[in-house]
Amino acid sequence: MNTRIVRARPLPVVAPVTGRAIALADVPDAVFAQNMVGPGAAIDPARGPGVVVSPVSGILVKLKPHAFVVTAEDGRGVLVHLGIDTVNLDGGGFVLLAEEGSVVPAGTPVIRWNPAEVEAAGLSPVCPVIALDADLTAVRALAGSVALGAVSAGDRLFTWA
Amino acid sequence: MQRTVTVASRVGLHARPAAVFVKATSAASLPVTIAKAGKEPVSARSILAVLGLDVRGGEDVVLETEGDGAETILDKLAELLTEDLEG
Repeated sequence: MNTRIVRARPLPVVAPVTGRAIALADVPDAVFAQNMVGPGAAIDPARGPGVVVSPVSGILVKLKPHAFVVTAEDGRGVLVHLGIDTVNLDGGGFVLLAEEGSVVPAGTPVIRWNPAEVEAAGLSPVCPVIALDADLTAVRALAGSVALGAVSAGDRLFTWA
Repeated sequence: MQRTVTVASRVGLHARPAAVFVKATSAASLPVTIAKAGKEPVSARSILAVLGLDVRGGEDVVLETEGDGAETILDKLAELLTEDLEG
């Protein structure tokens, strides 16, 4: 696989869900909170049925019921993880709206879910949105660009320089 | 030098186990590749590449590196993958 990254221009990353944008450090999972998966932000989603959209324009390279990765045209990948430990739900409550391998412009519906049900199952519905393989300079710029607070799906969340 | 390892994490090499694994390979002194049996190897230092492999729990992966200390590195990484990284 060619993982070489061509830096064309800053990559705008939009909120995949409606809710409240929070710092990654506030995610109730140490691996995400410590930027180990990568830098980014998270969204505490509005409770109730919701649609999750693509955070960038690109290809839906990986699609799981509880998580997906979209790679932009320049090769940079963004991970959206729907809740914490939700892999243990084995797909229950998640409806796939797109197919792995398809082209997804930013804002394209990918998954339907209900954060209230995730919470009722005893799990956190907080959604980390992660810049994968970001280099150190990008990490700093990215942290400063996060738009914290109320967001609607499709609003700018951060910029990956 | 190659090493075939069965991934212990029940969920496979997904977000958190993959992050722990990539952190370990990034800290290693030699570049390491990871592949599913019979498939094209990818950089084990790229979380995007590792997530793209979509390794499931119980599946075999082939780790490969060359150079001084290769055996020690493969030993460590193999040990890591045979732990349940979801813990």
